[in-house]
Amino acid sequence: MTTDSRGTLLRWIFLAPTMLGVGLFVLVPIVGSLVLAFFRWDIITSPRFVGLQNFTDLAADSTVAVSFLNTAVFVVVAVAAQLAIAMLLAVLVQSRMPAWLRVFFRSTFFFPLVLSAASVSILMKYLFNESYGVINWALSLVGIPAVPWLTSPQWAMVVVIAVYVWQNFGFSFLLFIGGLAAVPQEVYEAGAIDGATGWRRFRHLTLPLVSPTVLVASVMAIISALQVFDQPYVLTRGGPGDSTRTVVMVIYESAFRELEFGRASAIGLVLMVLIMLVTAAQFRLARRFVFYQ
Amino acid sequence: MATRSPLTRRALLGAAGLAGVAGTAAAWPRLTGADIPGRGDDALTVLILGTAQDAAGRQQIADAFTEEHPDIPVRIQSVQATDWGDFFAKILTMVASGTQPDVVYTATEGAQLFAERLALPLDDYLLRDADAVRDYFEDVHPSLIEAFMYKGSLYQLPLDFNAANMYLNLDVLERNGLEMPGEDWNRDDFTELLRGMQGDATPYYWTNRLFGGIVPWLYVNDTSFLTEERAQGGEQLWSTFYPGEERSGGYLWTGSNATHERVHESVEYLRTLVQDGLAVRPEEGGGNTLVGLFASGRIGSTPAGGYWVQGLAEGGMTAEQYDVQFFPRWRTQRHQFGAAGYAVMKTTEKADQAWEWIKFTASKQAMQLAFPTPSTTPTRRSMVTDSLYTGVGPEHWSRFYDTLDRFPTSGPIPAPPQQAAVETALIRNISTALSGGAGGVARALAALDRDLRAVFTEEDA
Amino acid sequence: MTRKLPSLARYAALAVAAVLTLGPVWWTFTTSLRPAAESFSLPPSFFPLSPDFSSYAAVFEQIGVPLLVLNSALVTGVIAVGQMITAAMAGYVFARMEFRGKNALFAIVLSTMMVPAQVTIVPVFMLIRGMGLSDTLLALILPAIPTAFGTFLMRQYFLGLPLELGEAAAIDGASPWRTFSSIYAPLALPGMAIVGVLAFNFHWNEFFRPLIFMISEQNYTLPLGLVTLQGNLGTGSISVVLAGVVLSMVPAVVVFLFGQRYLREGLTAGASK
Repeated sequence: MTTDSRGTLLRWIFLAPTMLGVGLFVLVPIVGSLVLAFFRWDIITSPRFVGLQNFTDLAADSTVAVSFLNTAVFVVVAVAAQLAIAMLLAVLVQSRMPAWLRVFFRSTFFFPLVLSAASVSILMKYLFNESYGVINWALSLVGIPAVPWLTSPQWAMVVVIAVYVWQNFGFSFLLFIGGLAAVPQEVYEAGAIDGATGWRRFRHLTLPLVSPTVLVASVMAIISALQVFDQPYVLTRGGPGDSTRTVVMVIYESAFRELEFGRASAIGLVLMVLIMLVTAAQFRLARRFVFYQ
Repeated sequence: MATRSPLTRRALLGAAGLAGVAGTAAAWPRLTGADIPGRGDDALTVLILGTAQDAAGRQQIADAFTEEHPDIPVRIQSVQATDWGDFFAKILTMVASGTQPDVVYTATEGAQLFAERLALPLDDYLLRDADAVRDYFEDVHPSLIEAFMYKGSLYQLPLDFNAANMYLNLDVLERNGLEMPGEDWNRDDFTELLRGMQGDATPYYWTNRLFGGIVPWLYVNDTSFLTEERAQGGEQLWSTFYPGEERSGGYLWTGSNATHERVHESVEYLRTLVQDGLAVRPEEGGGNTLVGLFASGRIGSTPAGGYWVQGLAEGGMTAEQYDVQFFPRWRTQRHQFGAAGYAVMKTTEKADQAWEWIKFTASKQAMQLAFPTPSTTPTRRSMVTDSLYTGVGPEHWSRFYDTLDRFPTSGPIPAPPQQAAVETALIRNISTALSGGAGGVARALAALDRDLRAVFTEEDA
Repeated sequence: MTRKLPSLARYAALAVAAVLTLGPVWWTFTTSLRPAAESFSLPPSFFPLSPDFSSYAAVFEQIGVPLLVLNSALVTGVIAVGQMITAAMAGYVFARMEFRGKNALFAIVLSTMMVPAQVTIVPVFMLIRGMGLSDTLLALILPAIPTAFGTFLMRQYFLGLPLELGEAAAIDGASPWRTFSSIYAPLALPGMAIVGVLAFNFHWNEFFRPLIFMISEQNYTLPLGLVTLQGNLGTGSISVVLAGVVLSMVPAVVVFLFGQRYLREGLTAGASK
């Protein structure tokens, strides 16, 4: 065998696991989803072709509509909060301080990322309990009456967002730290000569320079927020009412509680298209607003 | 360094690769589930809702069964789920994935789902072996049997049940100088009692589920959120086992009754309880924390069945600290109950063996093995005795079974075959109804009505 | 550059954020050390003055934690190693070999990064059933091994290694396999570590797929076992549940302490171009 043909052989052997795996477990299922979305099937009885009915039913189904609305609210608020908190803390941590303190803060804010969302939601469920939770206890110390965090539709979404942001802001924080560290010090020095300090310095110097990072961080944050499931599942099961039911929860419930596999696939496809659109839109916006060095 | 490093790294890679291969090979039975006892072998598989410990607990029954039927190997399999709906979803998933059991221990919540889609009717077996099972029926209240009749056939022999009675925390009552109410108390007495509980405890705590949630309050108000009819049929079973008893071929819940004015009245009543701070907003899901809260004197009253006794005892509550009373009367004092028993899967190839299992587990000997503690109420009246509750149970434990005798119209949890969708719709809209103002109730019930109609017409299509 | 007063405000803000971040975890830890009967009591105890370990014993008895840990470790370990190997192989090809259609293949792999698992879960469920792997740990493992992101990462990593090493080896007559196995693969170990740590972090904490694929309790992973424990237990002690939560955090904390650098690099790798 020549080196060349050995190289060809090696190439295909090396590519095989990934390519076959991606094909079998991602590409084939996407096609499968597309097909399933046109059927009604509960696996037990044979599938029935229903055309576009699964999609038209979605439009009429109030639960689905509410779940998309909830997800939209969740994504907007959670991502905004996540990015704002992360940026604020990143700027603070990157400013002048002893190295060990910086390492401490950096590790601390990053820490919740390594925990499981399910475990975090369990402990948060206790913290936010109306009658014996620590949060209401703390509020009672300053005279605020007990808040029905998880049992009222108004507050439940707030808690789900808070728990999600608590765990995930560290990711954006990490990205921002990296972005800020890459800003050359001369820029600030030059800015300082022009009298740029504090908010003005941040707004006119720092932010434009880290805007590519902000874009990437927001795309990633939005994509992951659109798929939120663990927190509402453990904290509220989508309730009270439909107030915290997200799109992925409806996919799960349709498929694995009601065995409506066609309907679940249809919702999944809509979600996937949504994710692609959001991403495309962001990169389009980016061309106008993001400042690349 | 630069030359040595790749070498050691290469060795490391090789060693890691070897270790990985060896480890994977060693773990192969775990990875494929082949080490799960009984998987793949020819035993009669009996599925229960619970932990592996629960399964181990039932192993005694399986052993006793094997003594009588050495030719039928049995394997008890447990599946954990957060509630019955979750459990049924898992069974459907098992059927879908081709790993279904032969026999399933399932409750009223899934009785009609099983009857309609998954279970085998027991009628022929029952009539064939009538003499062998007669003592079971003589010992069991007919209301419990009727709950497992579906369109004239019987699908399960209920082994344990729980009616939604009212648990009252005597510590809380005492702290507030209140008296334990009488058996004929009514809704106003109940409201009065809650008003008497000052500050330190939640007067009324409840979970938003089919069982123990809104439905008991609908039943005592002589209504339900679904239309209720009875099916024809089953005469032969009734005349064989309950001569003289006028019973039907099972309940039929086929339409929405959510906009009925008495449904509105019941929901509005609960809403005012919440609004006045007499009741918590409904918690969704199971109430694992509920036992702890009740045992530590933070809850005044809550609806539950006999299944609570053991949990409260384990939670450190003595028999003197609480008692149980019938649900308060409103227009009627009809109670809601749920029961459970084994169902034979339609897909099984071991139907005859499965029937032997069902027959055996309904015997008094097996039921005594199954229910050594009051963690539920056995359906055999002769087992609900002092000896079961001595030292652990409330003073009036006898009310658990008396509920059926005193209120013979008491009905099962209204769970049609579309259980999952119905419960989802109920929980969703009831929690909306209870968290808003007075005007919101009608709107939420209209939404419930719409959701239920969608559920029922969808199945017809 | 910064003035005194804002500097104080800055530290105060950071301190508050740090307390809010670590507080819940600390509370979990201290509450798990309270006796079961006191687990609901307020005020909460923030310092375990008289630690009570009975909840940890209860967790072992009640939910068979050792098996949960074994399952989680197996699933996570096999996925991590599998991803490291397959991603290194594919990444190497995409970085170092030229052939027709390479860019198209790489684009296909990259595009699957955008597809969330929730979208394809139903067909994957059916595939698993078709393969006879329902309710086995392999149902979690096999679909998770092919990794688009890991492949991308490893490609970047190989691109960063000097080309000359391979050229020199080829001149010496080394086969393509030898060039890979004795020169590039050992050098790529840090990159593989990133892939492995990322896989560990994600799959150790994974909840959605186990919730759907694992039916038998013997196959539960830790997060799934904990959520079920929380829903099922009749003892009403939150100490027990929280003890389980603490145990589930231990390996994550270990990785955090020792693999933080890899984790950070991996997580931010997607963002840097």
